[in-house]
Amino acid sequence: MNALVRYQLALLLRSQRWLPPLLLYAVLVAVGVQQGQPLLDSLGYAAAVLLPVTAWLVRICVTGEPEAARHCAAAAAGPGRTHLSSLLAALVAATVLGCAGTLVVTMISDPHTGDGRTAVPLPLAAAAGLLTALTCALFGTAVGALCNRPFLRSPGWAISAMLPTVLLVLVVGVSPANAAVRGLVTASHDGEVPVPWLPFTAAVLAAALAAGAACLLVPRRR
Amino acid sequence: MRLRDVGRRYGPRGPWVLRGVDVELPGAALLRVVGGNGTGKSTLLRLLAGIDAPSAGRITGRPRPAAYVPERFPAALPFSAAGYLTHLARVQGLRRGAAKRAAEEWLERLGAGGYARTPMTDLSKGGSQKVAVAQALLAEPELLVLDEAWTGLDSAARAELDRAVAERVAAGGTVVFVDHDPRRLAGAAHGLLRVAGGRVEASALNGPGCGEGTEPVPLGPSAVVTVSGPAGASLPAGLPAGLPGGPGSTPGPGGTLRLTVAAPYSDALLRALLAARPPWHIHAVEPAPGPDPARGSATEGGPHS
Repeated sequence: MNALVRYQLALLLRSQRWLPPLLLYAVLVAVGVQQGQPLLDSLGYAAAVLLPVTAWLVRICVTGEPEAARHCAAAAAGPGRTHLSSLLAALVAATVLGCAGTLVVTMISDPHTGDGRTAVPLPLAAAAGLLTALTCALFGTAVGALCNRPFLRSPGWAISAMLPTVLLVLVVGVSPANAAVRGLVTASHDGEVPVPWLPFTAAVLAAALAAGAACLLVPRRR
Repeated sequence: MRLRDVGRRYGPRGPWVLRGVDVELPGAALLRVVGGNGTGKSTLLRLLAGIDAPSAGRITGRPRPAAYVPERFPAALPFSAAGYLTHLARVQGLRRGAAKRAAEEWLERLGAGGYARTPMTDLSKGGSQKVAVAQALLAEPELLVLDEAWTGLDSAARAELDRAVAERVAAGGTVVFVDHDPRRLAGAAHGLLRVAGGRVEASALNGPGCGEGTEPVPLGPSAVVTVSGPAGASLPAGLPAGLPGGPGSTPGPGGTLRLTVAAPYSDALLRALLAARPPWHIHAVEPAPGPDPARGSATEGGPHS
């Protein structure tokens, strides 16, 4: 599996198709996060932005390889494992983005609550922000896995399914991704930093289920 | 490897491309798939290679590792030829050093050593087909599935692929192939899988080099290897068992033995004879007199023999 993920990451990096989602992430974070703003608000925003970016990265990874090359790798390692490796490559790329984003936001933001009165413990806030970013990356992976090959093969359907699904997962109150982001924003008012273990666990489950379903379906559909 | 009542269709309501396929693929065998255009040959090959799962039935006992060569290999990959092959060799389970060596060796063998550092997008059609063939041979697969793999290769690379196929079969692997040229590996194949009307019908061909098959297939070029055994060996009973290509033998002059084998197997046969303990002595290797002696390339030998 390591060799497969390395192969998929090399495909992603060398194809330079990672550049548009990276730019989207950078621009959205730059627009929404300004120096000296309350730390927890900014961390929540940066994590939320990562969700659509991850879904896009998944789309790039599962469609990047020409079909013939995909068949060669599938014969060697099994079609389910090759598909899983492309999802993992996207998740790795998203995790790198999330870590970098969290680090930058932590360094430039003001570690106080929104009213500027209560100091926020910096390591704890950074950890909570990172876990929220990972939660969003995992949900983005799940959305990307369910809205692309093998479920939706035409680019039109895939993209038009991905956009509303991403919005839904971010906005609807029952969504653990929304809960994690909301937790940070709420904490920015009262100064009680929550560590979103529950949403993170839900995100791991969701991503595993979506990836599992996709990998089972891959050899059965064209 | 066994297919039990295997069917395949695209989509839950699509028409069956293949149905009720019940065949057994033996080890150490070269099998040719024949059938008209659009009958499902490529679908069968993808099922065999494990790329697609059957919509009905089961496939058990697939040898691992398996490898597949597609009929068209677009070069739209952001790697150099050697870089791509090294990645694939790692995927197939080779360690870093071995992966690099295997990539270089196979590019060299197929006459593409000069393209090792060339970006895949700059390769010609034949060049990228060589990369497609090389990726399948990197890790000595036990199951090799070739979908018109010879198309686009130059004649030297085609002959090298013939020899590589014979090597895999000699090493106990199963090789399944489709090719539009009926003379491809003629006389070397052990069996035929005939695809028609969604069904697959398997028939055995007599062992290569053993005369008439049960199917009227053209007999391919053969090579004659003249050998003498180690002191005291009785001929031909003392021949090592399971020689590549199952050569037929006739007594030669001066107590020698003349082994006739399908040309692609000649290198593998020589290797087996020389590696036998005690080793056999090779007197001569020559193309068998036949209708098409130009194709008997056994005397050329390979750089690896």
